[in-house]
Amino acid sequence: MNDKFDAASDVSAPRPSTSGLGWDEFSREVVDFFASIKLAMFLFIVLAMTATIGTVIQQGERPETYVQEYGEEAYRWFLRLGFTDVYHTWWFTGLLGLLCVNSLTCFYKRFPGVWRSMRQDKVSVSLSFIQGMKQQTTLALGQPKETVAERLVRLFAEKGYRVLAKSDPGEITVYATKGIMGRIGAHVAHLSATVIVLGGLLGSYYGFQEFGVCLEGQTYHIPRGNFDLRVDKFWIDYHENGSVKSYNSTLTVIDQGTPTMTKTITVNDPLVYKGIWFYQSSYGDAWDQIEAARINIKEKASEKILATVDLEWNKEKAVDGLPLKMKMTDFVADFAFNSTEKKVFSKTAEHANPAIRLTVDERSSVQSTPWVFYHYPDLFEIKDSAYQFEFIGYQPKKFTGLQIARNPGINMVWIGCTMLVVGMTLSSLIYHRRLWAKIIPGESGVTLHLGGTTHKSQIDFQKEFKKLTEKIQAQT
Amino acid sequence: MMRSLFLFDMTFWLYLAALSLYVAYLFAKRPAMQMAPAGHPIDNLEDRDGAWATQLGQVATLVTVFGWVLNTLALTTRAFERMEHSGTFAPWSNQFEAMAYVSWAIILGYVLLEFRYRIKAVGAFVVGIGFIAMGAASLLPYRYQTAEPLVPALNSYWIYIHVSVTLTSYAAFAMAGGLGLMYLFKERAVNRGIQSRFYAAFPDLETIDELGYKAIMLGFPLLAFGIILGAMWANYAWGGYWSWDPKETWSLIVWLIYGAYIHARMTRGWEGHKAAIYAIFGFLMVIFCFWGVNFLLSGLHAYA
Repeated sequence: MNDKFDAASDVSAPRPSTSGLGWDEFSREVVDFFASIKLAMFLFIVLAMTATIGTVIQQGERPETYVQEYGEEAYRWFLRLGFTDVYHTWWFTGLLGLLCVNSLTCFYKRFPGVWRSMRQDKVSVSLSFIQGMKQQTTLALGQPKETVAERLVRLFAEKGYRVLAKSDPGEITVYATKGIMGRIGAHVAHLSATVIVLGGLLGSYYGFQEFGVCLEGQTYHIPRGNFDLRVDKFWIDYHENGSVKSYNSTLTVIDQGTPTMTKTITVNDPLVYKGIWFYQSSYGDAWDQIEAARINIKEKASEKILATVDLEWNKEKAVDGLPLKMKMTDFVADFAFNSTEKKVFSKTAEHANPAIRLTVDERSSVQSTPWVFYHYPDLFEIKDSAYQFEFIGYQPKKFTGLQIARNPGINMVWIGCTMLVVGMTLSSLIYHRRLWAKIIPGESGVTLHLGGTTHKSQIDFQKEFKKLTEKIQAQT
Repeated sequence: MMRSLFLFDMTFWLYLAALSLYVAYLFAKRPAMQMAPAGHPIDNLEDRDGAWATQLGQVATLVTVFGWVLNTLALTTRAFERMEHSGTFAPWSNQFEAMAYVSWAIILGYVLLEFRYRIKAVGAFVVGIGFIAMGAASLLPYRYQTAEPLVPALNSYWIYIHVSVTLTSYAAFAMAGGLGLMYLFKERAVNRGIQSRFYAAFPDLETIDELGYKAIMLGFPLLAFGIILGAMWANYAWGGYWSWDPKETWSLIVWLIYGAYIHARMTRGWEGHKAAIYAIFGFLMVIFCFWGVNFLLSGLHAYA
């Protein structure tokens, strides 16, 4: 307890007056510890230090990434300490929790005093109390004490102070206070920490975040909201210099079979339906579908190009001048073959090794379904066919990347944030000032003892105190 | 094409001139004839210098104000340039502009401080930081200085408020850092009993300390507000208000560091020397958050 409080200010929480077991002694110690400013400082610094870890070490990467960069031994330690996901470790969360406990205990211990100070305050103080203040002065005034008191009250009130006066035999004490809101603000900020953390927890337990890759013209079921979402349109706008200006998806919500809402979303402008938010998060080239492909048809024998055809997705096309019908049925962006399941799949979403599957109908006699490769034109040969097919170009189909999220804790977080900003601002801009004046009649006129205290912003208060003193003197 | 760049350049030279004038002013001051009585440091703030120093001081202030007006013009011009080919015109949309804005805010804060407290000596430090910010901006490669169209994520009204509030808090912390440095200078002089002309213009230690504290008390809620606005923006842009991305995390770290400072000031022994060193340390952390993170760590703010 080395907190610097001016005397007669912060009265701690009411203390039960039982005797014996030393229980209240112990509980008071505990409260003092958890409410202490030292603990707050410690938590702030330790949180700041540990938070740096996650900015230096990449978070949530694959094990091989860490092993490559830091070595195996270091990676083992990372796992033990949770350095690959610092912000969700038990100890980091624990520190945040402690910060909440710390601020709540501080509120419990100190707020009642501030509250009481708002309602009723100590007017009567001893002379030595006034003389012990940082700002204090003694003036001799040649007026009766009632006049002086009246003037003081008026002066303080003019300056926006709340004034209380008390007349005792032989002396008058005047008390003035201003800016208690600064103190209230600090406590509001303290409470906000817990509100924000609770909102965050609510969101992480009852909310969800998913990422969906959607194609134009498709309808997707959203099981969490029990409705469907149709992607009507996706397009990109460009700046004059060719950089992307915005990307947009027109979405229609279909609830119970009827379209209920249509909105064009773009970055920073999501669609909200039944508490579920749809964000325009990204876009890219689909890895399992393309708009169109261009095929060269070569004669096997002479290697001569007989025709070039553009195929649209899944549409059969007869080739002019040749006894051929062709259709493109499949596309993979990064060709791979699973030999156990005998299945073709795309290894990654990158267009590293694009390939399409054709269905070729030659004079109704030869049927084949070859895979043709963009990078390797002569990889496979179709038996019995007179032709060779070359996949020479394609137009990718853009997908729209939607972030789908619901967060029931969000409003609580914003409430907490508002409390924090308002509380901090009040606490920073407004400071609590108190003045006491004792007017003691003497031989000729009165002696005025004036003392003042503040918990912040000493310079300004000093100036103000000086001005007040000058004003009081000038008026005599 | 970029008329604003010329204005930014002019601003840079004016700030350099202003800084030199403030330093010259310090050297021209006459040492105070006597120490003010203890307990009334305000008396120290009265001008007691020779005519020569007074004039220097006035010119320094004039040049600073003029530089700041040019800085304002430069930012306004940049805003118009942005208007031409981007939806948003916030003149703090890249590293260079952000630096220039921080510089603008520091100088504005300093001018307000000078008019309110009538202390010119602070200029030698705080205008210095404003000048360095402007200079560092000028050192950025040309491609960082131009006004390229914004990427879609930034093209939103959030950029006006989130960025400006956060940068303003940086400026407040910069001011506190400058005052901390000034405190240490003055303290050294006091401890060694140096009665040089140079330190005569300095306000007393308590005043410097208090002003630094005030600057941090201004920056602290502003930074909180800035971070929260960023969280709101993130919530509208990608559906999560907090993703522990390096910039986010570092701004929180800076906030925590100043949080510790604010609480420490409530306890005994944390004013003066310790607080000054801490304010400088905090400012270094702000610099890392502003520069280091962009260039050393990856994240959502990599383009800013």
